[in-house]
Parts: sequence; C-alpha cells; structure tokens
Amino acid sequence: MKKYLAILKMQVINNLAYPGDFLGRSVSIAVFLFIFAGLWQTTYIIAGTASINGLTFANMMWYLMMAETIELGRPRTNRIISEQVKNGEVAYILSKPYNFVLYHFSFGLGDGLMRIVINILVGILVTWLLAGPPPSLLGWGMALITMVGAWILHFCMMALIGLAAFVVEETNSFELIYQKFVFVLGGMMLPLDLFPQWLQEIVRVLPFPYMMYAPARLFVKPEFDLFLQMLAGQWFWVGVLVVLLALAYRGSEKVLTVNGG
Amino acid sequence: MTAIEVNQLTRAFQSKRKAAGLAASARALFQPEYNTVEAVRGISFRMEAGELLGFIGPNGAGKSTTIKMLTGILHPSSGGARVLGFTPWKEREKLAFQIGTVFGQRPQLWYHLPAIDTFLLFGKIYELDDRETQKRIDLLAEAFEIRDLLETPVRKLSLGQRMRCEVAASLLHRPKLILLDEPSIGLDVVAKQHIRDAIRRMNQEEGVGVLLTSHDAGDLEALCKRVIIVNHGQIVYEDKVSNLKRKHLTTKLVEVRYAEEVPANFRLDGVEILKVGRYGVKLRFDTDQTAVDSVLAHLSGVGELVDITISDPPLEEVIAKIYREAAPASS
Amino acid sequence: MKNIKFLFALWKANLQAALEFRAAFLTQIIFMMINNGAYFMFWFLYFDKFKNVRGWTLQDMMLLYGIAATAWGLAAYFFGHFTTLGEVIANGRLDYYLSLPKPVLLHVLASKSLGSGMGDVIYGIGSFILSGYLSWDGFLRYVLGVLAGVCIFISFLTIIQSLSFWLGNTVALSQIALSALLTFSLYPSALFNSATKFVLLTIIPAALVGTVPAEFVRSFTWSSLLQMSAGALIFLVLAVSMFRSGLRRYESGSAIQVEV
Repeated sequence: MKKYLAILKMQVINNLAYPGDFLGRSVSIAVFLFIFAGLWQTTYIIAGTASINGLTFANMMWYLMMAETIELGRPRTNRIISEQVKNGEVAYILSKPYNFVLYHFSFGLGDGLMRIVINILVGILVTWLLAGPPPSLLGWGMALITMVGAWILHFCMMALIGLAAFVVEETNSFELIYQKFVFVLGGMMLPLDLFPQWLQEIVRVLPFPYMMYAPARLFVKPEFDLFLQMLAGQWFWVGVLVVLLALAYRGSEKVLTVNGG
Repeated sequence: MTAIEVNQLTRAFQSKRKAAGLAASARALFQPEYNTVEAVRGISFRMEAGELLGFIGPNGAGKSTTIKMLTGILHPSSGGARVLGFTPWKEREKLAFQIGTVFGQRPQLWYHLPAIDTFLLFGKIYELDDRETQKRIDLLAEAFEIRDLLETPVRKLSLGQRMRCEVAASLLHRPKLILLDEPSIGLDVVAKQHIRDAIRRMNQEEGVGVLLTSHDAGDLEALCKRVIIVNHGQIVYEDKVSNLKRKHLTTKLVEVRYAEEVPANFRLDGVEILKVGRYGVKLRFDTDQTAVDSVLAHLSGVGELVDITISDPPLEEVIAKIYREAAPASS
Repeated sequence: MKNIKFLFALWKANLQAALEFRAAFLTQIIFMMINNGAYFMFWFLYFDKFKNVRGWTLQDMMLLYGIAATAWGLAAYFFGHFTTLGEVIANGRLDYYLSLPKPVLLHVLASKSLGSGMGDVIYGIGSFILSGYLSWDGFLRYVLGVLAGVCIFISFLTIIQSLSFWLGNTVALSQIALSALLTFSLYPSALFNSATKFVLLTIIPAALVGTVPAEFVRSFTWSSLLQMSAGALIFLVLAVSMFRSGLRRYESGSAIQVEV
C-alpha cells in the first residue's frame, strides 16, 4: 500500500512543479463559470421566476461550480496510458512490482487531488462573487462523500478507454466523446431536473448521472432520500465497472505479451 | 570569386539562471538573472566559390551557430557576412534559392512519406518546373545511388540511406553552395564513405561549393581542401589540409622487421623506442628534430631489413593537439 | 501566385501523409463530428425548455456553431501548426523553415494538418445548412464570416505563441488563451454586459469568430462587416509583425527532432 501512497505523493509534488499549468486550470473554471453566469442570469430574467424546476440562480451556479470541479479533477488515465504505450514506458511499469491498474489509480488521484483543491478554491471565489454565499455544511458533506464514488467511476471509465491503447494507441477521440456524454447526459452543463421527463428516465439508468449530477445536485440541495438513492446507484455502477476493468485488464495483458511488450 | 565573406561575426545567447529549489524558482519569476554566453566571438574568414571547406571543432565550439547565421536562421549580435552577395539574415529568402542546407540532426524529408514526395514538394518550394524537377531527381538518384530508395517511406530507411536522400534533396535546386552541418553524424564507415563520394562528385561536376562542419576528422581528410578549426567561438587554425598535415603530422611511427635477431640493447639518438621484440622494433620520432634519412640509414645498418612500415598518427590526434594548444589563450 | 502554388504543394503532401494512415484519418474525422454533435445536445435541451434567449433561438445557435466549427476546422486542417507554433519556436524547429526560400510563418503553419479539422468543417457546414439560413446571399455571408474566423483564430494564437521568442515555453499560456477563445466563441455575446462584450471583441476576440459573423449571416449590416474585416485585418497584421520581430531574437537549438 505504501508504494501507491508514494506515487500519489510524487504526483502532488509534480503538479506543483509547473505553476503555469496549475494556474491555467483555474482560469478554465473561472471562464466557464463566468459564461454560465451570463447565460443563466439572462435565462432567469427572461423566465421571470426565482426558481426553475426547483433550482434558484444561486443553486444553479453552485451546482455548475461543483460539476466543473469534478470534470477538471477527473483522472486523465487514458492519455497517460496512451503516452506510455507509445514511448515504451509501459514496459518499465509492468516490469516493476506494481499492480498496473492500482498504479494508475494512485497516479491519477495524486494528479487530480491538487486540481480539485485549486478548482474548488477558485470556484468558490468566483461563484461567491457571481451568485452569493455557498450551500450549507450538509451539502458539502454529501457532495464530498458522493464525489469519492464519482471519481472512482470516472477512473474506471478512463482506465477502460486507456487499456484500449494497447490495441489502438490513440485513445483521445474516445475520451472526447465520452467527455461529451458526461457533459450532457451526466448533467454537467444542465442539471437533470431541467431535462424533459422522458429523457430523465432514460438517463437515470445510465452511469453518467452518478459521475456529475449526484454530487453537484446534493451539494446545492442536500436531501437525505436522494443521497441514499444516489449512493446506492453509484456503488452499484462502481461494482459493475470494476469487474469490467479487471476483465479488460486481463485481456489487454495478454495482448501486450503477444506483442512482446 | 568569393562565395562567403565573414567579418567579425559574433553571436551571444542569454540564458536564464536559476538556483535549485522552490524559493529560488519564485525569486527567478520576479528577478530573473541572466548569463550571457558568447557562442561565436568575432569570426572572420573567406571562402571561394566551388571550394571544399571544412569547419571543425569540438561540441559547443560555435560551428552550428556560425552556419545558422550564414543561412539567415540566426541574426548575429554584431559583425557582418556576405554569402553569394547576400546578407543572409536580411535577404534570407533570396539566398535560400541559391544555397542548400543539411542539418544532420534535423531531417528535412517528411518522415511518413517516400522521399520522392519531399523532392517534388521541394521542386515547388524552389519554384522549379516539373520537368526540371524530374530531370534533377534522375541525376541525383544516380549520383547518390538512391533510385531504389525514393519510393520507400522515409521512416523505413536506414540512417545511412536517409542521409544520402537528405543530401541529395539539398542539391535539388542546383545550389551554388551547400552548407552541411554534421552530415555524417551517427553513420557507419561504409555510409560515410558513400556520402563523401557523392558530395565530391557533385563538387567536381557542378562546381558546388561545400562548407561542411564535422567533428569527424575523416570527413575533413576525405573531402576538404582547406580547414578552419574553431574552439570556444574563435578560429584557432586556418590552412590547407595538406599544410595541416605537413606542418603538424611531423611525428612518424616506424615498424621494422629484420631477418636476424635484434640486439636487446637497440637504441637510436633522437628516436623514441616504443617496443623491441626478438625480430622487430617499433619506434616514433619527430621529423623536425631527427632527419628521416638518418633514421632509415641507422635502421638498415642494424641488419637485413625484411619489412618496414612508416605511418602518420591519426589526424584526430593532431586536431586534438591544436585544441589543447589553443585553449589557454582563449579561456 | 508562386506562394499559392507552394501552399497547394504543401497541402498535397499533408494529404498524402494523412492517407498513409487512412483509417486513423477517417476515424478522426468521424469522431470529431460525433463529438461536436454530442456537445450541441446541450442546446437542444436548453432551447427545448426556453425557446429564445435575447433573440437567439436554436436555429441561431446552429448557425453560430456552424461558423465557429467551420472556421476552426479550416484553420486546423490547412494551418495545423497554429496551435503548436510556440513549441516549434521554443524547440528550435524553425531552422528547417528558415533554410527554405518561402515565407516562414506561412510555411510553418501549413506544414501540419490536423485530420480532425476536416470533421469540424463537415460538421460546421452541416450545422449551417440545418440552421435554415441557407440562401445564395446567406451562403456568401457565411463564407465571409468563416474566412474572418479562420484569420482571427490563426492570428490570435500566432500572437500569443510568438511570445515564445522572448519567453521560451508558452504551452500553458497558449492553452489558456485557446480555451478562453474557444469557450467564449461558442456563446452569443448578448449574454454578457458591455465591458465583457468589449473584451470579447479585443483582448479575447471570441465574438469575432462567433457572434459577429453569425449576426452578419442573419442579416447584412455594414457595422458587423466592418467589425469582422477590420478585426481580421488588425489581428493578422499584429500577428505577422509580432512573429517577424521575434525572428530577430530566434535562438535555434540543438534538440534532435523528427519532422512529421
């Protein structure tokens, strides 16, 4: 276990070595929040109501802030695996006493932790200025708990896409499309509450809402029933995806040995 | 006719200096400290049209920086240069039509395409008409023996094959002068020989001038008539290659074999005895201090000679000696 | 004229290189189209609920996306080095271009082609057609708007990345600039207050690749034509002069590289 903690720590330090990139990421969240504040402010004025489908303008902004934080803090495992397959570094990692998947889990977590922290800080600042004070402590609690499951779900998806690199090398396109599905169906750009009823029903049986919508929605409106419901769904999907990932890893290990590393 | 005229050419680079550690990084962000490094310090020389000139020196001597200024890639800090009548950094495009360049570490051929495609693209870049391009490709394909390689994607060629295509590509537009920066880097003996032969041939047939940088003395010996040696950004030696040899290759190595046994106390004035065997002797002497015929006379006086070999030390050693001799003055 | 011939020769070589990896090329195109479509689902959902925001409807958003995607795609496909120019400068890879007798900036930019750009172009044209603004004069205005957009995208990134001549590595900076430009360009500037609108016309010229050309296609006005063409021209002149003055400070380098 210690060696995985060490990787995690290395990544955190690594992140601090490039202050430029670091700052760049916080600019992204500020730009995003600024644009969406413009869009929703206008929308609420036009709608002429304080709340749309139960969400106020402040709710909306804090929801978006949380969702964007998760998006920017999710692991980039597929890119790292692709890179390692292309430059041959993968052979070094496989020849060391690591579990390949756990290695990337701690690598991604170390990488993501710092980003989540900086984005939350910048996000709070910007959102507070644009939409008033943040939600209650209960909201923070529920959001943080469901973020764990959300992050693991993201990791499983990214790792699955990443393993495809053993076969096709370039996995960027897969990631882009996956990302767009999470953007829309996961509720990053628009809370599920505003979807037409029929679409809400379809989306709720997919894993995407548990990656974005769950923590963001619980953050602004911490409801206990919804919390339990989301938690159950989330960990059900974690179970499914972990099994899939384990199977896929076994398969790709074979491919790799066939290719001679 | 003068092809290149360089006058007090100087180029300095600034590099940011930063101590180790996070605190130093933060300080460097607000108060950067700079080091100025003079890569080229007041170099002056001339090169005639059609000449084969070697430009040699150790890594970091300023060879590449000089070549890059002569092609207009870099602007100098001070000093002047005329290449084929142009000031390179001011009339870069006009000059580029007249010269060819090969940077040994920077391929110009498109990696994923067969070389012929880059040749055709270069034909367009140099504004040749298609028939002219084709004629040149045929001629170069023959001179560089690359006809069979032209249609293979460059990534599948060996380094030697690729380099031949690179040099051929630089000659496509019939330049008056080619500047070759380390054309033989990383090549094996056979591949080097191949490239040198082709370059020499193009020089003889088309009169193209060749300015070549290398740290391989072999290139110099095989190709160049005249040599400029640079170190620490300055010219430390400039002369004909034959003079370089005559003046500096004054040490001779001699090996002799006799029909009878050599006396164990064999010795000779002014000669360094390297080894005395039962039937043979190996020795070294300097022709400036000891006359050749006296050595030979003495050797044949010892007994009946069966075999004799007289050789020069490798040119590399001579050049290394010149570097060492020049070092104290410049540092 | 000779430079045009040369550009065509470069594009041909790029296409030949892309066709060496035909499957990857096609995949990139198709995936980029799906990617754009998936992203646009947001606006379907949004307008399904709200219909109209400050005079912008789903149709108008399709038009705006059509223009921005086509402009971006053309820039990426024909001048693919415009997002990586800074690396070319910082790694000393300009040597190659400087040793050939053609305009350096043009030569660098056109020496790379991003296959995915073709996907953006196809998507963009499709989005424009479906937007319902297709007519003879509408098409002409669309072409003009797209050309201004291409010019702004390339010039803006060239300006930012030319800083590499002075600062060395600008990867982080150009990524920030790029994502700000792109993100803002995909939203109507009617959403923002006038100070922001001004920023989007000048420092981050996102309105010039999205909102302004889209309004110009919706209905001809001299003011939007003027904004577009003056903006494109000014940014182009700035980019070329920044790059030129940077060349004087170019430091080359000795990294071993492969020109792909």
